[in-house]
Amino acid sequence: MTREPTSTDADADATLHHVATLEAFDEAERIIVDVKGREIAVFDVDGQFYAVLNYCTHQGGPLCEGLLDGTLTMTDDWEWTYSCEGTIVSCPWHGWEFDITTGEHLAHSDYRVPTYDVVVQDEQVYITE
Amino acid sequence: MSQTIEEAPARLQRLDTIVDCDFHVTERQEDIMPYLPEPWSKVFSRNKGDDYGFLSSLYPSAGLVNPITTGKVQSNAVRSKEEAQVGMDLIHSDKVVTTPTLNLYLGCIRNEELAAALAYAYNEWLLDTMIDVDKGMYGAAVVAPQKPHLAAEEIDDRADEDGICAVFFPGGGIAPLAGADKYHPIYEAAEDNGLPVMMHNASGNMMMAFPKAFENLTRFLSAHVVAHPMIHMCNLADMITRGIPVRFPDLEFVVQEAGVGYIPYFMRRFDHEYHSKKEDAPMLEQEPSGYLRDNFYFTSQPLEGTSDPEYVDSMVRLMSGETNLMFSSDYPHLDFDYTDELMKLLPSFDDDELNAVYGGTALEVFDF
Repeated sequence: MTREPTSTDADADATLHHVATLEAFDEAERIIVDVKGREIAVFDVDGQFYAVLNYCTHQGGPLCEGLLDGTLTMTDDWEWTYSCEGTIVSCPWHGWEFDITTGEHLAHSDYRVPTYDVVVQDEQVYITE
Repeated sequence: MSQTIEEAPARLQRLDTIVDCDFHVTERQEDIMPYLPEPWSKVFSRNKGDDYGFLSSLYPSAGLVNPITTGKVQSNAVRSKEEAQVGMDLIHSDKVVTTPTLNLYLGCIRNEELAAALAYAYNEWLLDTMIDVDKGMYGAAVVAPQKPHLAAEEIDDRADEDGICAVFFPGGGIAPLAGADKYHPIYEAAEDNGLPVMMHNASGNMMMAFPKAFENLTRFLSAHVVAHPMIHMCNLADMITRGIPVRFPDLEFVVQEAGVGYIPYFMRRFDHEYHSKKEDAPMLEQEPSGYLRDNFYFTSQPLEGTSDPEYVDSMVRLMSGETNLMFSSDYPHLDFDYTDELMKLLPSFDDDELNAVYGGTALEVFDF
Protein backbone atom coordinates (compact mmCIF):
# COMPACT_ATOMS: atom_id res chain seq x y z
CA MET A 1 0.00 0.00 0.00
CA THR A 2 1.36 3.37 -0.97
CA ARG A 3 0.53 6.50 0.88
CA GLU A 4 0.60 10.18 0.00
CA PRO A 5 1.51 12.01 3.16
CA THR A 6 -0.60 15.09 3.88
CA SER A 7 2.56 17.14 4.00
CA THR A 8 6.25 16.45 4.00
CA ASP A 9 7.27 20.07 4.37
CA ALA A 10 7.06 20.62 8.05
CA ASP A 11 7.41 24.18 9.12
CA ALA A 12 10.82 24.57 10.66
CA ASP A 13 9.30 26.20 13.73
CA ALA A 14 6.50 23.67 14.15
CA THR A 15 6.46 21.27 17.02
CA LEU A 16 6.19 17.65 15.97
CA HIS A 17 4.38 15.17 18.17
CA HIS A 18 5.07 11.56 17.32
CA VAL A 19 2.02 9.40 16.65
CA ALA A 20 3.25 6.10 15.28
CA THR A 21 5.18 4.54 12.49
CA LEU A 22 3.65 4.64 9.05
CA GLU A 23 3.62 0.89 9.16
CA ALA A 24 1.42 0.88 12.25
CA PHE A 25 -1.43 2.29 10.14
CA ASP A 26 -1.41 -0.90 8.06
CA GLU A 27 -3.24 -2.49 10.96
CA ALA A 28 -5.15 0.51 12.31
CA GLU A 29 -7.81 2.78 10.83
CA ARG A 30 -7.08 5.25 13.60
CA ILE A 31 -4.53 5.71 16.33
CA ILE A 32 -5.22 7.82 19.39
CA VAL A 33 -2.31 9.41 21.19
CA ASP A 34 -1.85 11.66 24.17
CA VAL A 35 -0.33 15.03 23.30
CA LYS A 36 0.36 17.00 26.45
CA GLY A 37 -2.83 15.83 28.06
CA ARG A 38 -4.95 16.05 24.96
CA GLU A 39 -6.23 12.89 23.31
CA ILE A 40 -5.86 13.28 19.58
CA ALA A 41 -6.93 10.72 17.01
CA VAL A 42 -5.12 10.33 13.72
CA PHE A 43 -7.31 8.75 11.06
CA ASP A 44 -5.90 7.08 7.97
CA VAL A 45 -8.40 7.48 5.13
CA ASP A 46 -6.90 5.71 2.11
CA GLY A 47 -3.52 7.22 2.79
CA GLN A 48 -4.77 10.66 3.77
CA PHE A 49 -4.21 11.51 7.42
CA TYR A 50 -6.57 13.60 9.53
CA ALA A 51 -6.01 14.47 13.17
CA VAL A 52 -8.97 15.36 15.38
CA LEU A 53 -9.29 16.04 19.10
CA ASN A 54 -10.96 13.10 20.80
CA TYR A 55 -13.49 15.30 22.55
CA CYS A 56 -17.04 15.91 21.41
CA THR A 57 -18.06 19.56 21.68
CA HIS A 58 -21.51 18.40 22.72
CA GLN A 59 -20.95 16.84 26.14
CA GLY A 60 -17.33 15.78 26.10
CA GLY A 61 -17.77 12.24 24.79
CA PRO A 62 -14.93 10.26 23.18
CA LEU A 63 -15.81 11.43 19.70
CA CYS A 64 -13.02 9.74 17.80
CA GLU A 65 -13.76 6.31 19.18
CA GLY A 66 -17.06 6.25 17.29
CA LEU A 67 -18.14 4.97 13.91
CA LEU A 68 -16.11 6.26 10.95
CA ASP A 69 -18.32 6.16 7.91
CA GLY A 70 -20.36 8.39 5.57
CA THR A 71 -23.70 10.10 5.97
CA LEU A 72 -27.11 10.20 4.32
CA THR A 73 -27.54 13.25 2.11
CA MET A 74 -29.96 14.56 -0.46
CA THR A 75 -29.38 16.05 -3.90
CA ASP A 76 -31.03 19.22 -5.16
CA ASP A 77 -33.48 16.89 -6.93
CA TRP A 78 -34.50 15.34 -3.60
CA GLU A 79 -32.73 12.04 -4.33
CA TRP A 80 -31.36 10.27 -1.26
CA THR A 81 -27.62 9.72 -1.55
CA TYR A 82 -24.67 8.69 0.57
CA SER A 83 -21.76 11.08 0.93
CA CYS A 84 -18.41 11.67 2.56
CA GLU A 85 -17.74 7.96 2.86
CA GLY A 86 -15.02 7.29 5.39
CA THR A 87 -14.67 10.86 6.65
CA ILE A 88 -17.59 11.25 9.06
CA VAL A 89 -17.01 10.25 12.65
CA SER A 90 -20.00 9.91 14.97
CA CYS A 91 -19.62 10.36 18.70
CA PRO A 92 -20.53 7.08 20.39
CA TRP A 93 -22.36 8.90 23.18
CA HIS A 94 -25.12 10.74 21.24
CA GLY A 95 -24.35 10.28 17.56
CA TRP A 96 -23.21 13.82 16.78
CA GLU A 97 -21.57 13.63 13.34
CA PHE A 98 -18.35 15.48 12.53
CA ASP A 99 -16.41 15.79 9.28
CA ILE A 100 -12.87 14.76 10.20
CA THR A 101 -11.45 16.75 7.26
CA THR A 102 -12.71 20.06 8.68
CA GLY A 103 -13.75 19.32 12.26
CA GLU A 104 -17.23 20.69 11.56
CA HIS A 105 -20.38 19.30 13.12
CA LEU A 106 -22.71 18.39 10.27
CA ALA A 107 -25.82 19.82 11.87
CA HIS A 108 -24.28 23.10 12.99
CA SER A 109 -20.84 24.15 11.74
CA ASP A 110 -20.32 26.43 14.74
CA TYR A 111 -19.83 23.29 16.81
CA ARG A 112 -16.36 22.63 15.52
CA VAL A 113 -13.89 20.18 17.01
CA PRO A 114 -10.20 21.08 16.77
CA THR A 115 -8.20 19.48 13.95
CA TYR A 116 -4.44 19.32 13.49
CA ASP A 117 -2.01 19.01 10.61
CA VAL A 118 -0.29 15.69 10.10
CA VAL A 119 3.13 15.22 8.57
CA VAL A 120 5.03 12.11 7.59
CA GLN A 121 8.78 12.16 7.87
CA ASP A 122 11.10 9.19 7.55
CA GLU A 123 8.27 6.65 7.75
CA GLN A 124 7.03 8.26 10.95
CA VAL A 125 3.68 10.00 11.42
CA TYR A 126 3.54 13.24 13.42
CA ILE A 127 0.97 15.75 14.50
CA THR A 128 2.25 19.26 14.00
CA GLU A 129 1.20 22.52 15.55
CA MET B 1 -67.27 40.87 28.22
CA SER B 2 -67.71 44.10 30.09
CA GLN B 3 -65.18 46.15 28.17
CA THR B 4 -66.66 48.73 25.81
CA ILE B 5 -65.25 51.16 23.29
CA GLU B 6 -65.42 53.93 25.87
CA GLU B 7 -63.43 51.84 28.31
CA ALA B 8 -60.61 51.05 25.89
CA PRO B 9 -57.47 50.60 27.95
CA ALA B 10 -55.25 53.66 27.67
CA ARG B 11 -52.24 51.55 26.76
CA LEU B 12 -53.84 50.65 23.43
CA GLN B 13 -53.18 54.22 22.33
CA ARG B 14 -49.54 53.25 21.90
CA LEU B 15 -50.57 51.06 18.96
CA ASP B 16 -50.86 52.27 15.37
CA THR B 17 -52.88 49.39 13.91
CA ILE B 18 -54.44 46.44 15.67
CA VAL B 19 -54.77 43.33 13.55
CA ASP B 20 -56.62 40.43 15.13
CA CYS B 21 -55.17 37.32 13.51
CA ASP B 22 -57.73 34.84 14.84
CA PHE B 23 -61.27 36.19 14.83
CA HIS B 24 -63.79 33.40 14.48
CA VAL B 25 -67.00 33.27 12.62
CA THR B 26 -69.38 30.76 14.16
CA GLU B 27 -70.78 29.31 10.98
CA ARG B 28 -73.40 26.60 11.29
CA GLN B 29 -73.82 23.79 8.86
CA GLU B 30 -77.19 25.29 7.87
CA ASP B 31 -75.42 28.53 6.89
CA ILE B 32 -73.16 26.91 4.37
CA MET B 33 -75.38 24.13 3.01
CA PRO B 34 -77.15 26.48 0.55
CA TYR B 35 -73.73 27.06 -1.04
CA LEU B 36 -72.87 23.37 -1.59
CA PRO B 37 -71.95 22.65 -5.20
CA GLU B 38 -73.40 19.80 -7.22
CA PRO B 39 -73.67 16.87 -6.82
CA TRP B 40 -73.86 17.33 -3.05
CA SER B 41 -76.46 20.07 -3.33
CA LYS B 42 -78.71 17.54 -5.08
CA VAL B 43 -78.08 14.86 -2.50
CA PHE B 44 -78.88 17.04 0.49
CA SER B 45 -81.83 18.87 -1.08
CA ARG B 46 -83.81 15.63 -1.37
CA ASN B 47 -84.97 16.09 2.22
CA LYS B 48 -86.03 12.45 2.21
CA GLY B 49 -83.56 10.90 4.58
CA ASP B 50 -83.82 10.24 8.28
CA ASP B 51 -80.53 10.19 10.16
CA TYR B 52 -82.09 9.34 13.55
CA GLY B 53 -80.67 12.59 14.85
CA PHE B 54 -77.06 11.68 15.23
CA LEU B 55 -75.83 12.32 11.73
CA SER B 56 -77.37 15.72 11.31
CA SER B 57 -73.89 17.12 11.62
CA LEU B 58 -71.67 16.15 8.72
CA TYR B 59 -68.77 17.22 10.91
CA PRO B 60 -67.75 14.60 13.46
CA SER B 61 -68.31 15.59 17.04
CA ALA B 62 -65.94 14.60 19.82
CA GLY B 63 -68.78 14.89 22.34
CA LEU B 64 -66.70 16.93 24.78
CA VAL B 65 -68.81 18.90 27.23
CA ASN B 66 -67.36 22.38 27.43
CA PRO B 67 -68.26 25.56 29.34
CA ILE B 68 -70.29 26.85 26.39
CA THR B 69 -72.33 23.65 26.38
CA THR B 70 -73.05 24.04 30.08
CA GLY B 71 -73.80 27.76 29.86
CA LYS B 72 -70.89 28.88 32.02
CA VAL B 73 -69.52 30.84 29.08
CA GLN B 74 -71.92 32.95 27.05
CA SER B 75 -70.34 33.15 23.65
CA ASN B 76 -71.60 35.57 21.03
CA ALA B 77 -72.48 34.39 17.54
CA VAL B 78 -70.54 35.77 14.58
CA ARG B 79 -72.65 34.91 11.56
CA SER B 80 -73.20 38.38 10.12
CA LYS B 81 -71.24 41.56 9.58
CA GLU B 82 -73.21 43.23 12.35
CA GLU B 83 -72.25 40.51 14.80
CA ALA B 84 -68.64 40.71 13.63
CA GLN B 85 -68.67 44.44 14.25
CA VAL B 86 -69.67 43.84 17.87
CA GLY B 87 -66.54 41.76 18.32
CA MET B 88 -64.29 44.19 16.47
CA ASP B 89 -65.56 47.06 18.61
CA LEU B 90 -64.89 45.07 21.76
CA ILE B 91 -61.36 44.14 20.69
CA HIS B 92 -60.70 47.56 19.09
CA SER B 93 -59.24 45.86 16.05
CA ASP B 94 -58.68 47.70 12.79
CA LYS B 95 -58.47 44.53 10.76
CA VAL B 96 -59.49 40.96 11.49
CA VAL B 97 -58.58 37.69 9.82
CA THR B 98 -61.73 35.63 10.15
CA THR B 99 -61.26 31.95 10.78
CA PRO B 100 -63.95 29.24 11.02
CA THR B 101 -65.39 27.36 13.97
CA LEU B 102 -67.29 24.33 12.65
CA ASN B 103 -64.76 24.01 9.85
CA LEU B 104 -61.95 23.56 12.34
CA TYR B 105 -63.20 19.97 12.00
CA LEU B 106 -63.13 19.89 8.21
CA GLY B 107 -59.93 17.81 8.23
CA CYS B 108 -61.76 15.15 10.26
CA ILE B 109 -64.54 14.57 7.72
CA ARG B 110 -64.51 11.03 6.45
CA ASN B 111 -65.85 11.60 2.94
CA GLU B 112 -63.07 13.51 1.20
CA GLU B 113 -65.25 14.58 -1.75
CA LEU B 114 -67.79 16.05 0.62
CA ALA B 115 -65.01 17.77 2.56
CA ALA B 116 -63.86 19.59 -0.56
CA ALA B 117 -67.44 20.59 -1.36
CA LEU B 118 -67.93 21.95 2.17
CA ALA B 119 -64.72 23.99 1.86
CA TYR B 120 -66.08 25.54 -1.30
CA ALA B 121 -69.45 26.20 0.35
CA TYR B 122 -67.84 27.81 3.40
CA ASN B 123 -65.78 30.13 1.23
CA GLU B 124 -68.87 31.13 -0.77
CA TRP B 125 -70.73 31.87 2.46
CA LEU B 126 -67.74 33.74 3.90
CA LEU B 127 -67.43 35.99 0.86
CA ASP B 128 -71.18 36.48 0.65
CA THR B 129 -71.82 37.12 4.32
CA MET B 130 -68.75 38.20 6.23
CA ILE B 131 -66.03 39.76 4.12
CA ASP B 132 -66.04 43.55 4.06
CA VAL B 133 -62.70 45.15 3.34
CA ASP B 134 -63.98 48.65 4.09
CA LYS B 135 -64.79 47.52 7.61
CA GLY B 136 -61.51 45.65 8.00
CA MET B 137 -63.13 42.23 7.78
CA TYR B 138 -60.82 39.89 5.94
CA GLY B 139 -60.88 36.13 5.81
CA ALA B 140 -58.92 32.95 5.22
CA ALA B 141 -60.12 30.62 2.47
CA VAL B 142 -60.65 27.14 3.90
CA VAL B 143 -59.33 24.14 1.98
CA ALA B 144 -59.86 20.43 2.48
CA PRO B 145 -56.55 18.65 3.18
CA GLN B 146 -58.23 15.42 2.08
CA LYS B 147 -58.26 16.56 -1.57
CA PRO B 148 -55.07 18.52 -2.23
CA HIS B 149 -55.61 19.10 -5.95
CA LEU B 150 -59.10 20.46 -5.38
CA ALA B 151 -57.69 22.51 -2.52
CA ALA B 152 -55.10 23.99 -4.86
CA GLU B 153 -57.85 24.90 -7.33
CA GLU B 154 -59.80 26.45 -4.48
CA ILE B 155 -56.77 28.57 -3.57
CA ASP B 156 -56.27 29.67 -7.18
CA ASP B 157 -59.96 30.56 -7.46
CA ARG B 158 -60.14 32.51 -4.18
CA ALA B 159 -56.75 34.21 -4.08
CA ASP B 160 -57.80 37.26 -6.07
CA GLU B 161 -61.08 37.77 -4.25
CA ASP B 162 -61.13 41.02 -2.37
CA GLY B 163 -60.67 40.27 1.32
CA ILE B 164 -59.15 36.81 1.07
CA CYS B 165 -55.81 37.26 2.79
CA ALA B 166 -54.76 33.68 3.67
CA VAL B 167 -55.38 29.99 3.25
CA PHE B 168 -56.87 28.09 6.17
CA PHE B 169 -55.52 24.54 6.44
CA PRO B 170 -57.57 22.58 8.98
CA GLY B 171 -54.72 20.26 9.84
CA GLY B 172 -56.04 18.94 13.14
CA GLY B 173 -56.70 15.24 12.71
CA ILE B 174 -55.35 14.84 9.21
CA ALA B 175 -53.57 11.69 8.06
CA PRO B 176 -50.88 11.70 6.92
CA LEU B 177 -49.38 14.61 8.83
CA ALA B 178 -48.71 17.95 7.19
CA GLY B 179 -45.20 17.13 5.97
CA ALA B 180 -46.39 14.49 3.51
CA ASP B 181 -45.86 14.83 -0.24
CA LYS B 182 -49.64 14.59 -0.58
CA TYR B 183 -50.04 18.23 0.49
CA HIS B 184 -47.48 19.74 -1.87
CA PRO B 185 -50.17 21.02 -4.28
CA ILE B 186 -51.70 23.04 -1.44
CA TYR B 187 -48.40 24.57 -0.41
CA GLU B 188 -47.42 25.25 -4.00
CA ALA B 189 -50.70 27.04 -4.72
CA ALA B 190 -50.45 29.11 -1.54
CA GLU B 191 -46.86 30.05 -2.29
CA ASP B 192 -47.66 30.94 -5.92
CA ASN B 193 -50.54 33.15 -4.80
CA GLY B 194 -48.54 34.81 -2.04
CA LEU B 195 -50.90 33.66 0.71
CA PRO B 196 -49.81 32.39 4.15
CA VAL B 197 -51.18 29.06 5.34
CA MET B 198 -52.96 29.17 8.69
CA MET B 199 -52.85 26.09 10.92
CA HIS B 200 -55.41 25.84 13.70
CA ASN B 201 -56.53 22.81 15.69
CA ALA B 202 -59.50 22.17 17.94
CA SER B 203 -59.62 20.01 21.06
CA GLY B 204 -61.86 17.45 19.38
CA ASN B 205 -59.41 17.06 16.51
CA MET B 206 -57.64 14.77 18.90
CA MET B 207 -60.22 12.05 18.23
CA MET B 208 -58.66 11.63 14.79
CA ALA B 209 -55.10 12.79 15.47
CA PHE B 210 -54.52 10.79 18.65
CA PRO B 211 -57.42 8.32 18.97
CA LYS B 212 -55.81 6.20 21.66
CA ALA B 213 -54.95 9.21 23.79
CA PHE B 214 -58.39 10.64 23.14
CA GLU B 215 -60.01 7.52 24.58
CA ASN B 216 -58.46 8.31 27.93
CA LEU B 217 -58.78 12.09 27.94
CA THR B 218 -62.47 12.08 28.76
CA ARG B 219 -62.90 15.71 29.78
CA PHE B 220 -62.72 18.94 27.83
CA LEU B 221 -60.03 20.21 30.20
CA SER B 222 -57.63 17.33 29.73
CA ALA B 223 -58.18 17.13 25.98
CA HIS B 224 -57.96 20.88 25.42
CA VAL B 225 -54.82 21.43 27.45
CA VAL B 226 -52.76 19.11 25.27
CA ALA B 227 -54.56 18.94 21.90
CA HIS B 228 -53.56 22.26 20.38
CA PRO B 229 -49.79 22.25 21.01
CA MET B 230 -49.50 18.48 20.58
CA ILE B 231 -51.05 18.42 17.12
CA HIS B 232 -49.01 21.47 16.11
CA MET B 233 -45.78 19.89 17.28
CA CYS B 234 -46.53 16.71 15.33
CA ASN B 235 -47.37 18.57 12.14
CA LEU B 236 -44.44 20.97 12.44
CA ALA B 237 -41.96 18.22 13.30
CA ASP B 238 -43.10 16.31 10.23
CA MET B 239 -43.09 19.36 7.96
CA ILE B 240 -39.57 20.45 8.83
CA THR B 241 -38.09 16.96 8.93
CA ARG B 242 -39.47 16.34 5.45
CA GLY B 243 -38.19 19.64 4.11
CA ILE B 244 -41.39 21.61 3.45
CA PRO B 245 -39.68 24.98 4.11
CA VAL B 246 -36.79 23.94 1.85
CA ARG B 247 -39.20 23.03 -0.93
CA PHE B 248 -41.38 26.12 -0.46
CA PRO B 249 -38.97 28.77 0.82
CA ASP B 250 -41.34 31.68 0.16
CA LEU B 251 -44.30 30.08 1.91
CA GLU B 252 -45.25 31.33 5.35
CA PHE B 253 -47.29 29.46 7.94
CA VAL B 254 -49.36 30.97 10.73
CA VAL B 255 -49.60 28.60 13.70
CA GLN B 256 -52.48 29.34 16.04
CA GLU B 257 -54.18 28.82 19.35
CA ALA B 258 -51.58 27.10 21.49
CA GLY B 259 -50.10 29.98 23.49
CA VAL B 260 -46.40 30.85 23.55
CA GLY B 261 -44.39 28.72 25.98
CA TYR B 262 -44.26 25.62 23.80
CA ILE B 263 -42.57 27.54 20.99
CA PRO B 264 -39.14 28.30 22.52
CA TYR B 265 -39.23 24.81 24.01
CA PHE B 266 -40.06 23.17 20.69
CA MET B 267 -37.40 25.19 18.83
CA ARG B 268 -34.69 24.14 21.24
CA ARG B 269 -35.81 20.55 21.62
CA PHE B 270 -35.98 20.21 17.84
CA ASP B 271 -32.44 21.62 17.39
CA HIS B 272 -31.13 19.41 20.14
CA GLU B 273 -32.59 16.31 18.51
CA TYR B 274 -31.43 17.37 15.06
CA HIS B 275 -27.84 17.61 16.27
CA SER B 276 -27.73 13.87 16.75
CA LYS B 277 -30.21 12.77 14.06
CA LYS B 278 -29.31 14.83 11.03
CA GLU B 279 -29.45 11.82 8.71
CA ASP B 280 -33.25 11.92 9.05
CA ALA B 281 -33.42 15.37 7.47
CA PRO B 282 -30.42 15.78 5.16
CA MET B 283 -32.10 18.43 3.00
CA LEU B 284 -32.11 21.01 5.78
CA GLU B 285 -29.75 23.91 5.23
CA GLN B 286 -30.10 25.28 8.74
CA GLU B 287 -31.28 24.07 12.10
CA PRO B 288 -35.00 23.44 12.60
CA SER B 289 -35.33 26.55 14.75
CA GLY B 290 -34.03 28.60 11.83
CA TYR B 291 -36.96 27.47 9.70
CA LEU B 292 -39.35 27.97 12.59
CA ARG B 293 -38.12 31.57 12.81
CA ASP B 294 -38.03 32.22 9.04
CA ASN B 295 -41.13 30.49 7.71
CA PHE B 296 -43.50 30.24 10.66
CA TYR B 297 -45.48 32.86 12.56
CA PHE B 298 -47.45 32.32 15.72
CA THR B 299 -50.61 33.90 17.05
CA SER B 300 -50.68 34.85 20.70
CA GLN B 301 -53.87 33.45 22.21
CA PRO B 302 -54.51 31.72 24.59
CA LEU B 303 -51.70 33.30 26.55
CA GLU B 304 -50.65 31.22 29.56
CA GLY B 305 -48.76 32.24 32.69
CA THR B 306 -50.46 35.60 32.83
CA SER B 307 -49.89 36.11 36.54
CA ASP B 308 -46.19 36.26 35.78
CA PRO B 309 -45.03 39.00 33.37
CA GLU B 310 -41.44 37.78 33.65
CA TYR B 311 -42.51 34.40 32.28
CA VAL B 312 -44.51 35.80 29.36
CA ASP B 313 -41.90 38.41 28.45
CA SER B 314 -39.07 35.90 28.48
CA MET B 315 -40.99 33.26 26.50
CA VAL B 316 -41.89 35.80 23.83
CA ARG B 317 -38.26 36.96 23.67
CA LEU B 318 -37.00 33.38 23.47
CA MET B 319 -39.21 32.63 20.49
CA SER B 320 -38.15 35.90 18.76
CA GLY B 321 -41.67 37.20 19.25
CA GLU B 322 -40.75 40.71 18.17
CA THR B 323 -40.57 39.29 14.64
CA ASN B 324 -42.92 36.30 14.63
CA LEU B 325 -45.64 36.72 17.25
CA MET B 326 -48.96 38.19 16.12
CA PHE B 327 -51.79 39.28 18.35
CA SER B 328 -54.98 37.25 18.19
CA SER B 329 -58.13 37.45 20.30
CA ASP B 330 -59.92 34.23 19.31
CA TYR B 331 -63.19 36.13 19.75
CA PRO B 332 -65.87 34.88 20.43
CA HIS B 333 -64.54 31.55 21.66
CA LEU B 334 -64.49 30.61 25.32
CA ASP B 335 -60.80 31.21 25.91
CA PHE B 336 -60.50 34.49 23.99
CA ASP B 337 -57.89 37.05 25.08
CA TYR B 338 -58.83 40.66 25.56
CA THR B 339 -56.70 43.09 23.60
CA ASP B 340 -54.28 44.37 26.22
CA GLU B 341 -53.74 41.06 28.01
CA LEU B 342 -50.56 40.35 26.06
CA MET B 343 -49.43 43.96 25.91
CA LYS B 344 -49.33 44.44 29.68
CA LEU B 345 -47.18 41.32 30.06
CA LEU B 346 -44.36 42.47 27.76
CA PRO B 347 -42.54 45.03 29.92
CA SER B 348 -39.32 44.82 27.92
CA PHE B 349 -41.00 45.57 24.59
CA ASP B 350 -40.71 49.09 23.22
CA ASP B 351 -43.38 50.76 21.09
CA ASP B 352 -41.92 49.53 17.81
CA GLU B 353 -41.87 45.95 19.03
CA LEU B 354 -45.38 46.17 20.44
CA ASN B 355 -46.60 47.58 17.16
CA ALA B 356 -45.00 44.66 15.34
CA VAL B 357 -46.78 42.16 17.59
CA TYR B 358 -50.14 43.91 17.39
CA GLY B 359 -50.25 44.61 13.67
CA GLY B 360 -46.98 45.38 11.90
CA THR B 361 -45.94 41.78 11.37
CA ALA B 362 -49.47 40.73 10.36
CA LEU B 363 -49.66 43.54 7.78
CA GLU B 364 -46.63 41.97 6.09
CA VAL B 365 -47.64 38.31 6.44
CA PHE B 366 -51.27 38.51 5.29
CA ASP B 367 -52.33 39.56 1.83
CA PHE B 368 -54.52 42.48 2.92
